[in-house]
Amino acid sequence: MLQTLFNGFVTGITMTLPALAVTLLFGVLKFANFAIGAMMTVAAYMAFALNAQLGWPLLPSTIVVAIVCGLLCIAVDVVTFKPLRDRGSITLMVASLGLGFVLENIARLFYGNSARSFAIEIARPFRVMDIRMNKEQMITIVVSTVAMLAMYFLLTRTPVGRAMRAVADNPSLALVRGIESGRIIRWTWFIAGVLLAVGGVLIGMDRAIEPPMGSSYLIAVFAAAIFGGLGSPLGAFLGALAIGIVSEMATLVIPPNYRIGIPLCVIALVLIFRPQGLMGQAHIRR
Amino acid sequence: MSNVLEVQGLHAGYGAGDILKGVELTVAEGSVVTIIGPNGSGKSTLVKTLTGLLRTRQGDIVLKGKSVKDLSPPERVRAGMSYVPQEYNVFRNLTVLENLQIAHEFMSAGRGGKRGKPLSDEMEALFPELPSRYKALAGNLSGGQRQMLAFACALTVKPEVLVMDEPSAGLSPKYMTDIFDCVKRVNEMGVSVLMVEQNAIEALRISHRCIVMANGRVRLASDAAAVLGMRELQSLYLGDVKEAEAPASAAAG
Repeated sequence: MLQTLFNGFVTGITMTLPALAVTLLFGVLKFANFAIGAMMTVAAYMAFALNAQLGWPLLPSTIVVAIVCGLLCIAVDVVTFKPLRDRGSITLMVASLGLGFVLENIARLFYGNSARSFAIEIARPFRVMDIRMNKEQMITIVVSTVAMLAMYFLLTRTPVGRAMRAVADNPSLALVRGIESGRIIRWTWFIAGVLLAVGGVLIGMDRAIEPPMGSSYLIAVFAAAIFGGLGSPLGAFLGALAIGIVSEMATLVIPPNYRIGIPLCVIALVLIFRPQGLMGQAHIRR
Repeated sequence: MSNVLEVQGLHAGYGAGDILKGVELTVAEGSVVTIIGPNGSGKSTLVKTLTGLLRTRQGDIVLKGKSVKDLSPPERVRAGMSYVPQEYNVFRNLTVLENLQIAHEFMSAGRGGKRGKPLSDEMEALFPELPSRYKALAGNLSGGQRQMLAFACALTVKPEVLVMDEPSAGLSPKYMTDIFDCVKRVNEMGVSVLMVEQNAIEALRISHRCIVMANGRVRLASDAAAVLGMRELQSLYLGDVKEAEAPASAAAG
């Protein structure tokens, strides 16, 4: 029981970073970006290239990949989404699905379908209060927590973070308060890219690195962001933890194979009973 | 007196067809100009075009001798045009303090905007209710307080001209008096004001000039006091002062 709770907590905290990326992108750009799974996959492969193929330690590999991935996201936006920006959120969402396919298959083109793993020592699991945990889980918890605190600081204490929240809140008011939306959109993509890269490496560390690794998290990550209230950073964090724990605990009563259905049920229930999510504001359509 | 704002032959609109069909107006330095007119006369479209939220199709907008018609909304803000929208005029999910900080950080571009105090002493005297509510979410303020916050944000950097879209819309009588009082005091600090208003009589009492719009054109530009005295204009656009039940709905333009 406690073990399952702990596993769920780790699963949840692994999803906090991509869920935050989803919610930031949605808040500022107002569309659901389904390419985030493939973006995490590509980032994990890039880290794999530096770590396993060039022999760098994992930490500097991740930092480099995070920055490169942030810049790549800006480039992807310019090439893919910017020309479609006026076409509405459905067009952008479909474009992101297509982008996801392309990115995932680029990874497949280079590395094939077989699973890979980072060149890190496999440490023996240890026990605390009869709960089995391993080093990778500890790293995941520490890295995610630090990243969330950094994001909290960024969003509430820096001009760029405040401006991101302002644009998400009311884009036309942001314009007449002097905020250049283009610059804020680039920042948002960069930050989302960094979050996705770190998330991709964490997932790759926990499981194997393979082409569908990122997209397998897609539904759960979206469930987390929707549950928390799309556009709400704190909601994304709480939503990710909740989805992780609920999915894992559910395996106590249903066969683990059906675990993937839990986030879908959560999405359905949230949309029926509280469409704006846990922390979200009711959306004003104009 | 020179003009701080000149609008010349302005055409703008949505989709096919223009809503503004050659608007001409000026705002003299240090004056308050109120625009009135019936619904659909193009008042809101004019405000959107002035602030850059809507593209200028033809004509020119000249701020302090420089054309701003090709500038983006943020560039116009930094050129000295501040704007208080009618609704959705504060960031509701941000605190009062954060709303003010954003105004400081992004509106100024080196035009003053002292760091440290969110509101200058001058502004604190003007909006005494705000400092006690810095930590509150702007969305939790009352309508009047939101209007005051939007007003304060627009004034964090002293603008050349302050454009206001129906500042008294939806406010209680108390706040309505307050807001017009604020406009008057801000004007006395040297800020020129261009506002669109439905409560024409109260607005004209603090205005120097009045502009009457109809069908996307300026029908009349005159001294505010003169318009207040015009019987036929009153019944047309302002509603009869004494027999308030007369065409009051036509007055709400």
